[in-house]
Amino acid sequence: MKTLTQRVWPDTVASRAILILVAALLAFHLLGFWAFRVGFESLATASRDRGLAERVVSIKRAIASTPDAPERDRVAHDLSSASLEVHWSMVSLVLGNAQATKRAKVMEARLKELAPELATESYRVGFADDGALGSGKADAYRHMMLVSVRLADGSWVNFSSSTLGASQHIDWSVVAITICFGVGIVVVALLLLRWATRPLRDLAIAAERFSLDQTPQPLPENGPIEVRRAARAFNTMRERIQRLVTERMQAMAAVSHDLRTPITRLRLRSELLDDEATRVLIDADLGEMEAMIDSTLEYLRGGISSEAIRRIDLASVIETIVDDHIDQGHRVALTELTAAPVLGRMLSLKRAFSNIVGNAIKYGETASVMIAEANDQLVITVEDEGPGIPEADMERVFHPFVRLEESRGRQTGGTGLGLTIAGSVIQTHGGQIKLANRATGGLCVTITMSKVGDTGAHPSGSSFGKSAGQADHQRQIEGIALKVR
Amino acid sequence: MDQVPIKSVADDHGHILVVDDDPQIRLLVTRFLQRHGYEVTGAPDGRVMMDVLARTTIDLIVLDLMLPGRSGVELCRDVRTTSQVPIVMLTARSEESDRIIGLEGGADDYVIKPFSPRELLARIRAVLRRSRTARSAIESRPSEVITFDGWTMDLRRRELQSPSGTLIDLSTGEFDLLVAFAEHANRVLSRESLMQFAKARTSGAHFDRTIDVQISRLRRKLEAVTNGGHLIKTVRGSGYLFASDVRVREGHSV
Repeated sequence: MKTLTQRVWPDTVASRAILILVAALLAFHLLGFWAFRVGFESLATASRDRGLAERVVSIKRAIASTPDAPERDRVAHDLSSASLEVHWSMVSLVLGNAQATKRAKVMEARLKELAPELATESYRVGFADDGALGSGKADAYRHMMLVSVRLADGSWVNFSSSTLGASQHIDWSVVAITICFGVGIVVVALLLLRWATRPLRDLAIAAERFSLDQTPQPLPENGPIEVRRAARAFNTMRERIQRLVTERMQAMAAVSHDLRTPITRLRLRSELLDDEATRVLIDADLGEMEAMIDSTLEYLRGGISSEAIRRIDLASVIETIVDDHIDQGHRVALTELTAAPVLGRMLSLKRAFSNIVGNAIKYGETASVMIAEANDQLVITVEDEGPGIPEADMERVFHPFVRLEESRGRQTGGTGLGLTIAGSVIQTHGGQIKLANRATGGLCVTITMSKVGDTGAHPSGSSFGKSAGQADHQRQIEGIALKVR
Repeated sequence: MDQVPIKSVADDHGHILVVDDDPQIRLLVTRFLQRHGYEVTGAPDGRVMMDVLARTTIDLIVLDLMLPGRSGVELCRDVRTTSQVPIVMLTARSEESDRIIGLEGGADDYVIKPFSPRELLARIRAVLRRSRTARSAIESRPSEVITFDGWTMDLRRRELQSPSGTLIDLSTGEFDLLVAFAEHANRVLSRESLMQFAKARTSGAHFDRTIDVQISRLRRKLEAVTNGGHLIKTVRGSGYLFASDVRVREGHSV
């Protein structure tokens, strides 16, 4: 439900601004409408009442100038109109004890002002519903203004005027126009707000894209002042981060690089040793140091390499790695395809897969490597029989310098960069790497890479058969325990 | 049976020029090579190196890639304009592009820093042997690219490309073995001579496994292409035969 609301009405600056705008417009219109009604009504009533008073006075004079009774009644009828009924009678329609309302008082004052002679005569002003006079809710039924003026002979001229104005019902056309105005303003505001908030959106997109690997692309510092300031702050922050990271990386790379010279010297010096056993041990230590430096430098490059991207037979790469382990006396099994062409960088791929296979052997004693094909994808699985990795650490092992020695429960060398490098290499090659614990124990690393099709464009590809890649050539190589060193 | 005779050359003689800006390394390499019977001169930079080259006859140069002033690659090119003296480059593992540039600049081989002295010695021996046999043979320089049945072998970059242009990864031993086969195509080679040929190219430390295992691995990798595995034929009782029409091309690969 929440997501639906969010989709229909996203919580953006523009939507908030429109909400504020609509609320303000609504309030403005309601207030305006109310003020208009009140003002207009009082104005209309005043002018009507003035007209009424004038007519009342002139009709009274006309009737008063007529001497005989039937003639008076006829004149009264003749002078009646739809809005003002005039009757001549011997009694007053307005009761003497009628409560004087504010309006009645205003009317009385007006009559007095227009016809000073009335002051001496008796006249009454009152309100009446059409025949509902005297009922309990009298106020609610006062639709009619009654004025009774006493003539000199004691007879009365009764005026009844309908006060029901045209403004009593809501004017729908006004409402429709108001709504049209509102919609128009909202549409224009929506467009303008989108334009006005674009710098903010650009800022957000730039912040999302921010990556240390890419060459820094400063954010354009334009738009409203607030956005300009935010963009400038963002640019400064990014420069600072970039500088910080670059400096650290350079320091680390420089140290790693410079260590090579002393290691070379040590290698040369160890050659001068007479003690063969010590020399071998020193060489092994130096080898380990070299490996650490190599992996650190590899990690610092972040999967970026100057190496060209070429078509590579991944099967041959993995075969070389597996064969090398077999030669070192490790137990490695390989099930593979005859050809597994991918687009990539040879050295990076070699390092990635040798890290993965090396890890399997280091922690799991044995490795079972399988290359298979599924929907134009190459699926390489490397399984071991080690303790596996706790579910909670599955993500963490890809982080640099993370080693799970505590859970592995034994000391194994390394820098904690093996899987980090492998992961970043596979990712830069557009592949995926996943870890899972096997049901039977041990870790299973699955690498998925897209297979590159046979180009067949090579002019001398005469002996190249299409079926070669398809032939699922299975073979098992069982390493023999053969101590090399 | 067309067996190729192996000339045994005394490798441990000659004058080597070691160019490295680190005095300690220069001294240690000098001492190490002297112990193995070479005459050694040291040079801290390109200027001294050129000076030495002008005055003395040098059989081989060990050249560091990272040098103050003119870099190893530039010096390598400079030397190549006047001389064919063999050059072994010292490079860092991470600088793949530098290595390629170095080789294309005319270096004969490279050793990755930090190197083990015995590896350096093996490379020096191999390069010296190669240059000496080449000098006596008709070809002046070792060929750079070999092709057979659509396959391409770049000897400098040590790369094998299948007919479809796919790079096939070979171990050092496998590559040397394939070069030995290609250089002696359509001739029966005994296990011993194969071992000798392959060893002549590199240190020999990679030949711990028997030649049969190496050949089966090589065949398996060549199988990436149909019939690729049949390029190497077993000749019962006498050895192996590489059945293909091998062409040698000078210059750079694609």
